[in-house]
Amino acid sequence: MEPTRRCAIVGSGLAALAAYATLRHGGLASNEIAVLGTHEDPTEVWRVRAAAIRQRQMRSESDGHLAAAAFPGLAVRELVRTGSLRPMVATVANRYHPSVEAFLAHAQDVRRRTGWSQSFTERRVGRITAREGGFELDGDGPFAHVLVATGHPGLSRPGEFSGAVHAYEPHEYASRIAIVGAGMAAATEWLNALAAGSEVVSIRRREPLRRPLNVPRTFFSKRGLGAYHSLSNEQRAAKLRELAAASFPPGPAWDEPLAQAEREGRFRVELVPNGAEQVICATGFKRGFQEDPLLARLVTDNGLATFGRWIVLEPDSTIPTLTDNSRTLSLAGVAAQWAFPAADTIAGAKYSARAFLRRICRTR
Amino acid sequence: MSYTLTGRIESRLGSVVPALVLALALHRWWAIELVALMLVLGLALDVLVYHRALPYQPGWLALPLGLGELGLVYLAMRAAGIMAPLDLAFGIYGVGWLSAQILGHAIFPRLRLEYAESGGELGRGGVLTAAAVGVTLVAGLGAAYAVRPPTVHLHGTVQGPLVIRHAETLVGGVVRGGIVIRASHVTIRDVTVVGGQHGVDIEHASHVMLDHVRVLGVTLDGIRALDAGVMIHDCSISSPASTLVSGILISYSMGRPMSMVSGCTIAGTREGIATHSSMVDVMGNHVVDTTERGILLGEMSMDMASKNVVEGAKGIGIICMDHSMCDIKHNTIAGATIDGNQDPTRQGVAIESFFYAQAQVAHNTVIASPGGVQAFDNSTIQHQN
Repeated sequence: MEPTRRCAIVGSGLAALAAYATLRHGGLASNEIAVLGTHEDPTEVWRVRAAAIRQRQMRSESDGHLAAAAFPGLAVRELVRTGSLRPMVATVANRYHPSVEAFLAHAQDVRRRTGWSQSFTERRVGRITAREGGFELDGDGPFAHVLVATGHPGLSRPGEFSGAVHAYEPHEYASRIAIVGAGMAAATEWLNALAAGSEVVSIRRREPLRRPLNVPRTFFSKRGLGAYHSLSNEQRAAKLRELAAASFPPGPAWDEPLAQAEREGRFRVELVPNGAEQVICATGFKRGFQEDPLLARLVTDNGLATFGRWIVLEPDSTIPTLTDNSRTLSLAGVAAQWAFPAADTIAGAKYSARAFLRRICRTR
Repeated sequence: MSYTLTGRIESRLGSVVPALVLALALHRWWAIELVALMLVLGLALDVLVYHRALPYQPGWLALPLGLGELGLVYLAMRAAGIMAPLDLAFGIYGVGWLSAQILGHAIFPRLRLEYAESGGELGRGGVLTAAAVGVTLVAGLGAAYAVRPPTVHLHGTVQGPLVIRHAETLVGGVVRGGIVIRASHVTIRDVTVVGGQHGVDIEHASHVMLDHVRVLGVTLDGIRALDAGVMIHDCSISSPASTLVSGILISYSMGRPMSMVSGCTIAGTREGIATHSSMVDVMGNHVVDTTERGILLGEMSMDMASKNVVEGAKGIGIICMDHSMCDIKHNTIAGATIDGNQDPTRQGVAIESFFYAQAQVAHNTVIASPGGVQAFDNSTIQHQN
């Protein structure tokens, strides 16, 4: 039998890099961590999507970066880089949003500094098998501690628009466009299409919420999480459904172009595309563990507790029946929403990563 | 950040450490008392107000909350009778506020990765820090209480001169013939002194506080401090019994902590407030009808005179003289009159720099004083905006 290796990260996106940086910050050596994923560049998938919707600014704030410690944040780094106090003034008023370019440059810096490439192996993991004292990943291992950060399970398109281009796929804009959805990607696409001179029909089931971040700020800390973790399964699922409602940030940068276009008759809300030349689905991602083959198999193989589309997790993002004093199986990214409602954000990735690190340290 | 209540308390306790270290380094009880007051008020606000009112606290709120707490700490300090020099007290508060920002935004998040998501809780380190801060403060305050000077309450009139040779607090009553202070850490509060050569005579002492002291009918000086560090607040000196009386005279005290004279009213003396070879902050006093000089900052002193009102001074309102360096700002000098002896330096000069002195003046108001603002005998006056 092979000796048990320290830990593995399954997945190679932003959440995986955040976890890797956290583990390295916590004192683990590169050779103690195996990263198994499909892309050596952890920003690749996200970068393509951001480019597709022409995203220039992050919704996250100064601490929305992938390094382990929150300080120095991106605002401080910009201050050092440019000598301008503007990002600092903006950040104390919660008005600082780093550029996508700065975020990605910093992510590459984190990748380089942490030695990510030394731990990375290009492989799509198809099955996680629980063994005594750890887990095998497609027969490789065992690993004592495994963090699954496989990301969103794919792009979501409503059935009636199955042939439409998705906002996160590369595309141009026709002169009359219908954009389906009402979240951040949809709002970004409205502005993109209007700026390109198109006429836009917004197709949406309900009015979007206006929220600075994906979820209210209290849910990013123990204050809101304490109450969230004490909810029953039914209540927690209801809360997650409520928090999943489409939203984009408030502010004139969004409102003014839309109001102007509405006055000019170039932007309106309708129920159907109504003759649009192009339909863009800004409808986000497929939802639920069932959509992720690895997680679906994990649930089936081990009879894991689930509720609705979520795997039931401990508050520290671990799967209770597969975690004990000698081993840890933890989820990060969107699959960890049962533990952290904003799990699909950078803050969420770090939340799972830090809890994972604590468990590793505890079992040293 | 969304603080939990425990997080607020632990962060508050952790953040007070630099101010507490500074207070301990100063070796002054008032500094420890001030830090304790800051902490108690802050914790009360955390529990009673902030936790309920601020489920999420944006970064910018630190400034208005800090200013609000500063106001409350100042009022509480006055109410509790903590005898702190204001500049140092503000300095300690500033250190406390600034260190809270640096610790909360930079150091705690680096030392404890989950600091923000834990709602400001510091974990085991926080509990230890809280315990250490608590023990230090309780021990410090306990020690301060144990060695506090005795308080003597005077009732009615006591025949002086009253000689004080040990640290003590003297409160109330009337003393005839003056008070002599020859010890440090003496506080005189709400006492009226009548007659004698010097109303209050202080020598070779530090941390002497005169608060609401009235002096009447003395023959030499209302309050005289020689080689002493004194804080004189809200005093009143009037009805001199001779033409030689100086209201307040602080001299040869350069080696002592900075002295302060504030909120005093001095009327009809030869000189209102005079300093020689000392460092004194003369602030917010009212000096009326002096026969020689209203305020004299002299003999290599390094003094500040600000927000004073000098009325009806004969000859000179405020003078910086004899190699002194003076900051003279925001004063009002009204009705300085010409002394009839033909001396050009005494022709109703509102502000004067004399004999190798350097005065920096700004924002003073001069009314009906024919001599204006002048420099004599190799001295300079620098006007600032």
